This record gives sequence, C-alpha cells and structure tokens, in this order.
Amino acid sequence: MDAPIPAKIPLTHQVISVLWPSFAVAIVATGLFFSAFHPRDLVPFDLDIEVSPIAAYSIGFFLFWMLGVLSSYGTLYFTVSNARFLGKQEH
Amino acid sequence: MQAHNTGNTEHVLYAAHKKIYPREVSGHFTRLRMLSVIVLLGIYYLTPLLRWDERQAILFDLPARKFYIFGLTLWPQDFIYLAALLILAGLSLFFFTALVGRVWCGYACPQTVWTEAYLWMERKIEGKRSKRMKLDKAPTSAAKIRTKVIKHTVWIAFSLWTGFTFVGYFTPINELAVKLGTASLGPWETFWILFYSFATYGNAGFMREQVCMYMCPYARFQSAMFDSDTLIVAYHPERGEPRGSRRRGTDPATAGLGDCIDCNVCVQVCPTGIDIRDGLQYECIACSACIDACDEIMDKMSYPRGLIRYTTENAAQGKKQHIVRPRVIVYAVILLVLCGTLLTNLFLRVPLELDVIRDRNTL
Repeated sequence: MDAPIPAKIPLTHQVISVLWPSFAVAIVATGLFFSAFHPRDLVPFDLDIEVSPIAAYSIGFFLFWMLGVLSSYGTLYFTVSNARFLGKQEH
Repeated sequence: MQAHNTGNTEHVLYAAHKKIYPREVSGHFTRLRMLSVIVLLGIYYLTPLLRWDERQAILFDLPARKFYIFGLTLWPQDFIYLAALLILAGLSLFFFTALVGRVWCGYACPQTVWTEAYLWMERKIEGKRSKRMKLDKAPTSAAKIRTKVIKHTVWIAFSLWTGFTFVGYFTPINELAVKLGTASLGPWETFWILFYSFATYGNAGFMREQVCMYMCPYARFQSAMFDSDTLIVAYHPERGEPRGSRRRGTDPATAGLGDCIDCNVCVQVCPTGIDIRDGLQYECIACSACIDACDEIMDKMSYPRGLIRYTTENAAQGKKQHIVRPRVIVYAVILLVLCGTLLTNLFLRVPLELDVIRDRNTL
C-alpha cells in the first residue's frame, strides 16, 4: 500500500469501517455460538430467570457486535494515529 | 482495475459525497435487469408465504432451534451445512466473476435490487432526473415538502414490509401477521422489523452506490478473479475518439471525429456516477445502463450500436478469446466437488438424525 492515509477520513466512513465489519462478524459468531450452546444453559448461578430464545439470541448478537466494534475501533485508531505519526517523522 | 494506488485517487475516494441522480434508461439490458429485480424481489417477499405440510415451507425457527427448508429439517448440529453453503456461495461468486465479470453486482446483488426498486418509486413520485435535480435545488415550498413526504412515506412503507418479511423468515409469518393486526408483537420482533426496515431504507434510499464503493468487500477483491477473458462493460476508444458534438447527419470521418458525440448520457445514467469512457473502473458495477443509453444515441445518429458494449480485454484487442481456461476449470471443479460432497452428506444424514433425537429425548 503506497497510498498515504489521508489526514482526514470523513466521520461517516470511520463509522462505517467500525460498525460494518463487526456487524458481519457478529452474525457469524452468533450463529456459531448458539449452534453450540442452548440459551437455557447459559443462565449463570442457577438464577431463576426466564429469557426468551429470541431475546437471548438478540442480546448475544449485540454483545458480539460490541466486541467487534471495540476491535474494529482499535484497528482504526491505531492505523490512523500511526500513519499520522509516521507522516510527521517523514516531514 | 488498479485505480486506487496513488495518493491522488485515494483522496478522490474520500472526497465529499455528491448525490447521484441516475437518468432513466431503456433498452435490452435494462429490461433484463428489471426482470431480475422483479423475480428476486418476488422470491424474497413470497417465499415466507409458501406452505409445506401444514407449516411454513422455509422457516428458520430460532426458538425451536430448527431450520425448515421444504422437506428438509436442519438442527443446530447441522451448522456445518450452513457453513458449507456459504463457502459454496462464495465459490460460485468466484466462478461467475471469472466467467462473466460483475454480473452479480449489476443484476442480482440485494443492494442493486432494492436500490432499483427505491429509485423506481422515486422516479414515479419526483419525476425524471432533471426534475429531481431541480426539486432538490428548489427552495423549501409546500409543494416540495408534499412531494418529499409522499416519497418517504412510500419508502418507509416498503421498508416496513421488507422488515416484516425478513422477520417472517424466523417467526411463522401467519402468526406474525396476526400479532401485528392485534398489536401484540413481542419487543424483539418489533425491534428486528424496525432494524431491518431502517437498514433497507438507509441502504436503498440514501447510501446506494456508496455501499458498493465503501462497504462492499467483493467490489474490492473482484479484480483478483478477472483476467483478459472476463466479460466487462467497455467503451471502444478507437472507434469513439476523438469525441465531439456534431450535427446529425455529419460524416464523422470528414469532420475528423470518432463516433462518440460526447452527449454525456452514459455518465448521466450511471448509478455510480462514473464515466465509462475513462476505462474499466472499480466503481463500475457492470449494470450496463450505459450500454443501453449509448445504443439509443447510436441509433439516433444512425451509427452502428456497440460503442459501449460487453466485451473482454482480449476481444477488445482483437486477440483470441478463451471461455474455458484453467482459472474457470479450477473454480468449476472445486465447486462441483463441494456440491457433490454437500448433497451426498445431506442425503446420508437423514437416518442418522432420527437416532440422535431419540437419544436426547431418553436422557
């Protein structure tokens, strides 16, 4: 990649590059996770709570998405800030 | 295809977004695309309504952890088949890309299909390209607000139907309809209907070509499957250049001009807003709107059609074309082997499945 990373990436593109890959990964992760585990086996400490499967899958999906967002944001942050740092060194 | 390797084009890639108003177009490929759009939308909206033995024919019943696909029932332990299906879908994409280029992008991708549908509604309500541009530039008025409100209402209604159908793949759609009618939808069902509706509304109404340009991984790596025999949409510069406007009936040869009359219609019809005359570009989704548009102009000028046409790099350079070539054979063989393995496995699986269920029940 010879292309320098522009100093300013539009906010929408930043948001997309964080939300979108993590969304796709969350779908796969949710599918894999819940085909291995049944939601009723996941209630901790024998708590007596009733969670509908749809709610469990949905919450699981959002947890995976959140993890993905953290990771994608980390990548974006380090890529951009490192590129700026390198750019400063060169000038 | 290597468009974005310089700092300059990288900046173009991140340039502020300009709204694109694709001009209406008619012709052979446009009809083909419309047919594809109608068939695919039909499949999407009608599939959940199909019945099979007292139940919904295709239902991904998440609460019961069973996927019904006509006569087939898949359990969580069959997740591997879903993974295999995804791999198959990916490989088919490779195979068809090598053979016919980005035909998926132009005719079958949900992004294209729904964008076409939303664009159609927009045209019916706001009018032709010039009218839409004028409307957007016009100062706020009662008439403008009314037109916009009608458009967004129709868009939102269509989005909600899309979202409802989507959830209908996971919850029996009959029950869902009853719940909707009696206002007793569950919180998560409501949430997912709205979530999917919002995504459709945003992607097909606003994001449009930006999804292809900034979000689609396939658009970025499809060039890896391309070779000199892949079908592409291309302008014929030897025939078209030097381009220039002229009066009808002028002989281009005596005027020192090529066949391109520089009318810019090919640019105006492009849903991604590129100029195909600049050569093959990563933004081109091979929808062939420019082919139809240019052919119409060529007819008007009484020039032969095909100044912009489907071709291959080899054909364009007058070289020999190869439809069957190592790349295509390799993709085809892998595809066939995987297909065969998947089908054999599925058919051998059925008796096994019964045993497993019984064991679980006795435990």
